Amino acid sequence: MKLRGALALTLLPILLLSGCSAEDNALLVYSGRSEALLGPLVEKFEQESGLDVEVRYAGSAELAAQLLEEGENSPADVFLAQDAGALGAAAKAGLLTGIPDEIYSLVPSGYSAADQSWVGVSGRARVLVYDPGKVSELPVSIFDLEDASWQGRIGIAPTNASFQAFVTAMRILHGDARTLAWLEAMKVNAVIYEKNGAILEAVEAGQLDAGLINHYYWYARAKDVGQAQMNSRLAQFQAADAGNLVNVAGVGILNSTDAAEQFVSFLLSETGQQYFAQETREYPLVEGISPADELTPLADIPTPAIDLSDLDTLAETLELIRQAGLI
Amino acid sequence: MKRPPIAAVALGLLAALASLIPIGYLLLRLFEGFEAALAELARARTLELLLNTIGLTVSVSLTALAIGAVQAWLTVRTNLPLAPVFAVLATLPLAIPSYVLALGYLSVFPSFSGFWAAWFTLSLATSPYVFLALSAALISSNFAAEEVARSLGKNRWQVIQSVTWPQVRPAAFASVLLVALYTLSEFGAIAILRFDTFTRAIYNAYRGSFDRTSAAALALVLVALTLVVIYFERRYRGDRWQAPTAAGRKRRIDLGRARILAAFGLGIIGLFGAGVPLVSLIGWSVNQTGFDLLRLGELVASSLAVAIAAGVVIGIFALAISVWNLRYSSRLSGAVDLTAWAAHALPAVVVALALVYFGANLVPGIYQSIWLLLLGYLILFLPNALGLVGTPIALVPRSIEEVARSQGLSKNAALTKVVLPIALPGILAGVALASLTVLKELPATLLLRPNELDTLATELWQATEVLAYSQAAPYALALIIIAGVPALALNAQARKLISEVS
Repeated sequence: MKLRGALALTLLPILLLSGCSAEDNALLVYSGRSEALLGPLVEKFEQESGLDVEVRYAGSAELAAQLLEEGENSPADVFLAQDAGALGAAAKAGLLTGIPDEIYSLVPSGYSAADQSWVGVSGRARVLVYDPGKVSELPVSIFDLEDASWQGRIGIAPTNASFQAFVTAMRILHGDARTLAWLEAMKVNAVIYEKNGAILEAVEAGQLDAGLINHYYWYARAKDVGQAQMNSRLAQFQAADAGNLVNVAGVGILNSTDAAEQFVSFLLSETGQQYFAQETREYPLVEGISPADELTPLADIPTPAIDLSDLDTLAETLELIRQAGLI
Repeated sequence: MKRPPIAAVALGLLAALASLIPIGYLLLRLFEGFEAALAELARARTLELLLNTIGLTVSVSLTALAIGAVQAWLTVRTNLPLAPVFAVLATLPLAIPSYVLALGYLSVFPSFSGFWAAWFTLSLATSPYVFLALSAALISSNFAAEEVARSLGKNRWQVIQSVTWPQVRPAAFASVLLVALYTLSEFGAIAILRFDTFTRAIYNAYRGSFDRTSAAALALVLVALTLVVIYFERRYRGDRWQAPTAAGRKRRIDLGRARILAAFGLGIIGLFGAGVPLVSLIGWSVNQTGFDLLRLGELVASSLAVAIAAGVVIGIFALAISVWNLRYSSRLSGAVDLTAWAAHALPAVVVALALVYFGANLVPGIYQSIWLLLLGYLILFLPNALGLVGTPIALVPRSIEEVARSQGLSKNAALTKVVLPIALPGILAGVALASLTVLKELPATLLLRPNELDTLATELWQATEVLAYSQAAPYALALIIIAGVPALALNAQARKLISEVS
């Protein structure tokens, strides 16, 4: 009968799909970093270690939300996230088992969780990207952007995790009231974007004078098109300015097995660190491994003195950003 | 009272239970932090979001109704030149994910954002729902009554108002319900165009602060809004099913010189809805170098497998509920139908997280397998199929079924041998629409898919994450081309009917 044939035909894809389900003994990594970036590194790890790795790719925040819902029953072994906030949420829920001492000690303190729940893998610096044809006088402090002369000229991405981490740093350094005033000034002056990359595109295209982004967006683009082709330039603010915050992408362990520890060690090995330095132009965090040549050395960035684990008061930050009407 | 087939009842109850999972999950989260949730709802911002959301939903619904109605009336009832071409153009936006539509416009007009941008994009994206429903309804409406009204001295507009509209109103309302719920739950385009609605606030609560209680509180407001919208739809749509009238000669209305103007107008709408986004996508891919065709093939295959499987599953459940609720209607069947709709305005991320919780903790055996993903699609898209599957099932006259029974066929045999074959085109249309929506779906697919199952939509997401338009373009184009197949199949039915009219 025709109907049966049709049913069989549709059951076939289901069976094919259910056949491709997980090998049970593989290491399961939840990755907030993209497949294009992490995929080749995972392959290298599989070859070197002989272990099977399965990766689930999605946004860091979505994966953190997924981990929170899964709770104790999560099948994940390792959580690799784009930002400290997502790792902090998993740590707060008691899902991370902690990083072994010999791995944790590879990264200078300040780039990992103080309670050893996760370890930093690569660093990203907040920078000002600007069009030298349109910005003659660079802002010295992030607060200079409050000036009416910046109206409609500065791009920000308030829903972006890196921007929110920077606002949290500002709250720690200057208090909530001062931060709210800055955000309210941004409501007047700033052009709102959804992503860092979009801000860079706009400055490059001459549609926007300047913007607040992470450093590697610029260097990744420069790598693609050639540094000489870039219209925009990068600048830092004055020493210890909140606008110079260095944040990290990091990794936490959910199910502490030998394989999970091997994978985390690999990310912090020479191979892993060089990979991030060259592919994404992020800063390697393990001491003795230098960043891509054209980058300002990490030690020379006039970063504010902030403990990254203090950046976990995101809810209050969001409250301020909302109060200012930016999200 | 006739007893409904057991299978229909069983499947119907199962679907209703599935739809209750996200609502149950939200209530669970709400009671974990009731005070915090109340505080969230009491904020001035909640009112602002509510007004934004209602404003957008109402304006998009009305605009989509206007666009879809004009397209349907002109292509079905008038001597519009190239009517089949315009019918295809009217369906085409259905194949374009709304986030791709938004990105397409944004890359051409960088300042494209806010309320008007969201209104514009969503109106274009949703008008095909109205067009499909109304063109089918217009074809089966009573042409003779219109002729009579004309001969009694009413002008063209008065005839549409007093004769045509009442006949197609149920179909119009049903499709506007889909449009309204689509707008309530839409996230991708809204986020790209930066307009604040409940859905965007819910996503931000999850993403920014991992605050599941306020997300749940906001999501429950969406459920309440959905129930209000459904109430109005049921209250005002009028009699749902009317016997099709085999009305005499079906003559097309002569538009005279206005037909060129009408064609021009429809051409402009088509240009906005499909032309601009397609051109900007092709523009992105011009810069493309070293593209992996094999990878694209794999993605097309996995996307198709998932979409077809989901479409068939959804179609089977829609069929069961329609048979039960339309041919053996009871209070319970009505409740099942309502439950299937109730979760439809929930953002996909809410449904997906509910299933993550449900799957990981209660049924780990199917967690991160294709089965849980299919369950997610069923909850999300069952209502999309219900309308299309239901209409033809309701229209099969009872007398035909009774004749079959009197010839000794069992109840079930009468259904499968008589009713279903007549309703088959509608059922296939429901499957096509469900598959199409599944193809475009992103947030739930990301959260519920088996590990390492990639589809065109997830690959497109990976590429746009870093805003690499040029890398995203081939996947977006492939997605639109594949989604175009069911869209055209849906359209073929309408066009076949159009040619019957002329």
